[in-house]
Amino acid sequence: MSLLDIFMIAIRVAFSAFVPLCFIAVCVWMERRGAGFFQDRSGPNRAAIFGFRAAGLVQNAADGIKLFFKEDLISDHIKHKFFFVLAPIIVFFCAVMSFAVVPFADTLVLGGNSYVMQGIPMDVGILWFLAIAGFSVYGIILAGWSSTNKYGILGGLRSAAQVISYEIPMGLSLVSLLIVYGTVNLSEMAQFQGQLLFGFIPMWGAVLQPLGLIIFVIAAFAECNRTPFDLAEGESEIVAGFHVEYSAMKFAVFFMGEYVAMFASSAIIITLFFGGYQIPFLNTQALIHLAKPVAFLLMIGLPVVMYYFAGWIRRSNVSHYERENDPRVFEANVYIKCFWGLIAIIELLLLAILLMQSGGAATHIFVALLQICTFLVKVTMMIFVYIWVRWTLPRFRYDQLQKLGWQMLLPLALLNIFITSAVVVALG
Amino acid sequence: MGAKVKTIERRGSTLTERIYLIEIFKGMARTLRHLVRNLRDNKKLLVRHYPEVQPEIPARWRGRHRLTKHDDGTVKCVACFMCQTNCPAECISITAKERLDDKAEKMPASFNINLLECIYCGYCVEACPLDAIRMDTGIFSVTDNNRQSFIIGLEELLTTPGAYSEEDYKKGGA
Repeated sequence: MSLLDIFMIAIRVAFSAFVPLCFIAVCVWMERRGAGFFQDRSGPNRAAIFGFRAAGLVQNAADGIKLFFKEDLISDHIKHKFFFVLAPIIVFFCAVMSFAVVPFADTLVLGGNSYVMQGIPMDVGILWFLAIAGFSVYGIILAGWSSTNKYGILGGLRSAAQVISYEIPMGLSLVSLLIVYGTVNLSEMAQFQGQLLFGFIPMWGAVLQPLGLIIFVIAAFAECNRTPFDLAEGESEIVAGFHVEYSAMKFAVFFMGEYVAMFASSAIIITLFFGGYQIPFLNTQALIHLAKPVAFLLMIGLPVVMYYFAGWIRRSNVSHYERENDPRVFEANVYIKCFWGLIAIIELLLLAILLMQSGGAATHIFVALLQICTFLVKVTMMIFVYIWVRWTLPRFRYDQLQKLGWQMLLPLALLNIFITSAVVVALG
Repeated sequence: MGAKVKTIERRGSTLTERIYLIEIFKGMARTLRHLVRNLRDNKKLLVRHYPEVQPEIPARWRGRHRLTKHDDGTVKCVACFMCQTNCPAECISITAKERLDDKAEKMPASFNINLLECIYCGYCVEACPLDAIRMDTGIFSVTDNNRQSFIIGLEELLTTPGAYSEEDYKKGGA
């Protein structure tokens, strides 16, 4: 095992462990500011370090510090303290682990060796995700039960029933997808989606399996306990459900686990249905071949995008009331300079790609980085959909939830399997 | 006169509505329009930038209490205990003393209002026969660090000025 091998393993494990954690901050920020903007209010934008608000991102740090230093309370009526503490750990651990099998770039070829860009390169792929994501409900049930609280146990039971109901349509919608792809390995699925259908449509899961996509996305929402399926929390009827007795960092771990789970399931949806890391019309071979034109286009495109982005920052980041020497104008100028600096660095790197010999190691790394960026952009867009749905739809009633799961999604998923199998057999 | 009855049309029985998804997408399009509008120009957010921008408090709004004075600066209150008796939260406590300036027989020696117990119902203002207690200071934010400072006495009640002119206050229906 050479040094490079060890380095690449460290990179891929670090990526799949730390990127979800970093995305917690982005998710929470998107959720709170997004919620504000959806509802015509501004969301948290006051917390600042030396007057720099970073569009509200500083609020995350403030909340984190607050939760970290709060009293970690375990009430006396809680008999099973071990399980009580174990529950948030299970939720968080499962959420992080479920992302481990998602490939975030195509296999990287360096000096004749190929490196898989996947936290845990396993052949079981999607089955791992199903297993781990299904296991995370144990944390919620355990939390509800060990809280010795009626609201808690109601939340836990609701969650249990919900996950059982929605695992089935989720699994069945995957079956039809597996028939199409002919593999359970997520890397192979992502590679499959680099092809073109009829020569001009990207052969994404969403194109091949539109019904499967709808069923899977609905089931994934339920699996993550997100609105409209967040009956486990149901703050209007059962206070906060399973985490009603949790405080301080134990609550924060639940909270972060929810967002990591959201990230992981977005990543799975992206990998299964939206081509994973694939840039539409440019699969890995084409990208390696066209690395220089792509780099050149990026070199032109980035400053143009940045120019408009800077204008937007300048327009948005002002005080909306009379104020002498508005400090937010200064703040905006600092942000714009920082972003231009970042753009300058990226331009230099792209220039280096342009000057280097094509087809070498640098090209391969460039392509891998492009794919990682594509993957993260797609995942962010999917997270946005999660947030968008949350701030649009009200919560389902419990009987509606079960009805939707068993009477609508389950028959639809079965129908989808029959149709898909028939088409696959007919096409031979 | 019968109450106005508005019959709300029941929705949700047509086929497109029963499929859910179409209606869900319509709703999502609506929220997205709000998001895009606000992202393009965040001046359109329906937000008041409190505390830099203070809300406009109308004259009828029941804020913190004050005791009014005669034109010569003496207290109007005659310590009749009407407000204290009428107070549902029992937050007013008055002690009376003899009044020597011939305006009335009695005047308050102390007049304490516990703002933590007060529910701002305005019954004291209604009960007062002499228009001596009013809630027209326009103070809506009552904050402090300790409980004791929420019990405001005669001195503070008399010195707090009203926020509105006499005409505006009367227009409010008082």
